[in-house]
Amino acid sequence: MNIREVLHIVGALLMWAAVSMLPPTALAFTEGMAAAWILSVSVTATVGGALWLFTPQQVSINRREGIVVVALGWLSVVAAGSLPFIFTGTAPTVAGAVFESVSGFTTTGATIFAVIEDLPRSVMLWRSISHWLGGMGIIVLGVAVLPLIGMGGAQLFRAEVPGIATDRLKPRVATTARLLWGVYALLTATAAVTYLALGMSLFDAVNHAMSALATGGFSTKTASLGAFPPAIQWVTIVFMLFAGTNFTLHYRFLTGRWNSFFRDAEWRWYAGVALMAAMTVFVALGLSTGSWVFRDSAFNVVSIISTTGFATADFGAWPDFTQVVLLSLMFVGAMGGSTGGGFKMARAVVVLKHAASEVRKVLHPRALIVTKLGRSPIRADILANVLAFLALYVVTHGVGSLLIAASGHDLVTSLSAALAAMSSIGPGLGEVGPASNYGHIGAFSHVILSALMLLGRLEFYTLLVLVIPGTWGRPGGHR
Amino acid sequence: MRVIVVGAGEVGYHVAERLSNEKHDVVVVDVMPERLEYVQNHLDVAVVEGSGANPSVLEEAGIRSAGLLTAVTSIDEVNLVCCMSVRGGKKLVKVARVSNPDFYADGAHLKPESFGVDVMINPERELALETIRLLEATAATDIAVFAGGVVQLVGVPVVDDAPIAGKTFAEVGAEVGTTPLLTVAIRRGGRTIVPSGATGIVGGDHLYFVATNETMSQALEMCGYTYTTVHRVMIAGGSHEAYYLAQLLQQHRGQAIMLVKERDRAQELAEKLHNALVLNGDATDVELLELEGVGGVDAFVALTDRDETNILSALLAKHAGARQVVTLVNKMDYMPLAKMVGLETAVSPRLSAANAILRYVRRGSVTSVATFKDIDAEAIAFKVSEASPLKGRRLADIEFPPGSIVAAMIRGEEANAMVPRGNHVLLPGDTAILFALPEAVGPVTELFPP
Repeated sequence: MNIREVLHIVGALLMWAAVSMLPPTALAFTEGMAAAWILSVSVTATVGGALWLFTPQQVSINRREGIVVVALGWLSVVAAGSLPFIFTGTAPTVAGAVFESVSGFTTTGATIFAVIEDLPRSVMLWRSISHWLGGMGIIVLGVAVLPLIGMGGAQLFRAEVPGIATDRLKPRVATTARLLWGVYALLTATAAVTYLALGMSLFDAVNHAMSALATGGFSTKTASLGAFPPAIQWVTIVFMLFAGTNFTLHYRFLTGRWNSFFRDAEWRWYAGVALMAAMTVFVALGLSTGSWVFRDSAFNVVSIISTTGFATADFGAWPDFTQVVLLSLMFVGAMGGSTGGGFKMARAVVVLKHAASEVRKVLHPRALIVTKLGRSPIRADILANVLAFLALYVVTHGVGSLLIAASGHDLVTSLSAALAAMSSIGPGLGEVGPASNYGHIGAFSHVILSALMLLGRLEFYTLLVLVIPGTWGRPGGHR
Repeated sequence: MRVIVVGAGEVGYHVAERLSNEKHDVVVVDVMPERLEYVQNHLDVAVVEGSGANPSVLEEAGIRSAGLLTAVTSIDEVNLVCCMSVRGGKKLVKVARVSNPDFYADGAHLKPESFGVDVMINPERELALETIRLLEATAATDIAVFAGGVVQLVGVPVVDDAPIAGKTFAEVGAEVGTTPLLTVAIRRGGRTIVPSGATGIVGGDHLYFVATNETMSQALEMCGYTYTTVHRVMIAGGSHEAYYLAQLLQQHRGQAIMLVKERDRAQELAEKLHNALVLNGDATDVELLELEGVGGVDAFVALTDRDETNILSALLAKHAGARQVVTLVNKMDYMPLAKMVGLETAVSPRLSAANAILRYVRRGSVTSVATFKDIDAEAIAFKVSEASPLKGRRLADIEFPPGSIVAAMIRGEEANAMVPRGNHVLLPGDTAILFALPEAVGPVTELFPP
């Protein structure tokens, strides 16, 4: 393990994080908070610059170092991201500041702030920027714009982009990363312009566009999207669906392959499940409360399945049946290769189909049944990886819920908070429902949930590699 | 015409045989001397030893004066390279056998012209298509399709207590009015009879008759069968033929259960096929056959590479109660044996390949050709052109060469097939389907100039 080369790249990422703090810093001058912001930028830039300067300028990283870069990169950027919350004095505790930063970069959208409108606008903007950077991925962005990560880029890419197997758009990984970020930026700009056209203020439009396309969930309003008229909510439904879609499909669509969505098996499942769930919730809600507003069901279902976490209604007060539907969607999550989180639709389909084929094998013991997603067979090693991922997901969720319950929270709160964190959704149920927030749950829970958010966003393997002793030995050597 | 046949395997042998019988000068090219010796001992053809992909070998075989090159080795790439590398005359027609399903995978169609090939044939797929048609026609042992499936020429054995057994064709015609049973030939005890109205039908006769989609079920009923549809088909073997058949069944909304011995091949098929149940096991494993319910399937099709396995597994399936059994038989010598043990419906890849190739040998006015395994005759579909001497004449007035008979007429839109009557007048654009013994093929072809 060549830690110095790893730190060189981490330093570059930190300087990049410092640059991304400049827009809120500029905004802070209008609010008299410039000092706190300049301090945040300076600390981040100094640490980053030092790491950058006092390490070898030539790097060539292998697969193992690539994974460590992603893991350490995320931890450092998240730490840097918590500085503004601390220095502006908006976060009451350091744990709270870290929670808010992790929640931002992992596009979870769980907040410790009870009344969003009281926050300085620079802090609001920073929350949205952290969403936007974490959505497509800070490392992918690094691969796209930093020429130095050219060589080991493929490893970094794989370690950060979620899902089963991401097919490259172009032979060069840097080109692929640039195209994905380009599509991402284009969609975000489209969303912002649409919001503006529908009467949002510039500030709200930019913030919500970044938050929606990153499947984040931070809003500039305490009532989230509920504070805006129905037309804006409908537009948000569409953009959340887009954000939960594999961005490779967007690229194909934009380059003239108009049927790219329907040809993709995972997308058909994703869209199909979203539609079915929305209809189910709509009917269940209508029957029990007498209010037949399809927009509410569709919005909250899409918000959960895309793992965004915006809300237009307090679904914590909905009938239990609909809450179970939403809880299931929290687990499944969005598509691989999207900015969304969760177990991922493709993995869920593969696991179910594999289970079905095992049942079939009881009837036909000699049958060779190949699990397929659409028409493409899933290789045995990928299947094993998916099943291991399921085990990690379930175990991590169990341990996480246990720890949160141990700190004194009820069953529904513990289970839903852990799941909402791992799947990067944001609002859970019970004490942490959409009508409430995460400010009151205590420092211990803040730390646990922060860990769960990072594990979920980086899909376990990347982060868990850090705690395996073998990682730190010499390449190819045993510990 | 000089014809060069590259590949002296089962397919090449049969193609060479048919073309040689039609008085073509055939040269067979192959790398294996023992195969060439076999060919030379049995057929009146010349042989050249060497690879067909080697231009100088083809040169030696006389490619410059050849009118037809058929590359039918079992290796697709050799066949394609062979057609690409020849420098033949302008009139040379090049036919390549291309069997690998991957070359035909959706969207990836090979373009024959990019290889300098005039026609690509796929005997394995032809065989699968033939099998599907046989399954659909329940009792048929042979089937040939014309005009895109509107007219079919089928061979069916008559059941002993069939409604028509013991009657003459005239009596049958009187009973049913217009007969749907337009019989062009009967095979009885190894002899081929061209029937007249006075010919009697007995149980065990093998009738070759023409039927349209509408008359097919009635015709089968008259021979003593009930017409049913095929859903569950068990296929033994993992050959290309088996793959194509499973794929076709998928399109026909049928369910294929495949028995594949080699695990790797089974895995590959399970990945490629989306509606088939692929089992890893031997087709002669009685326990496995029973476990998977061979007695309850609509049809059992034995398509492994080994004739012995095919015959044995087909017998097992028939014994267990499979409603319909189709057996692939490679060695022509085994055909009578298969018949003897009760496996009436047999398919042969060489026949399928030969049919596909012969279709293109006699281009011009010929739109389709079919040969049969038991009777030495061909069914040929001709288009009546402006230059035809038969144009405007009544069928009754035309003297067709001995050994040939008009089986069906098709006019205009392909759905309009007719039973030929004496007062029918031939018009340009009509298609005539003739049934001809080998010696009549030449004279008949002259009646239909392009």
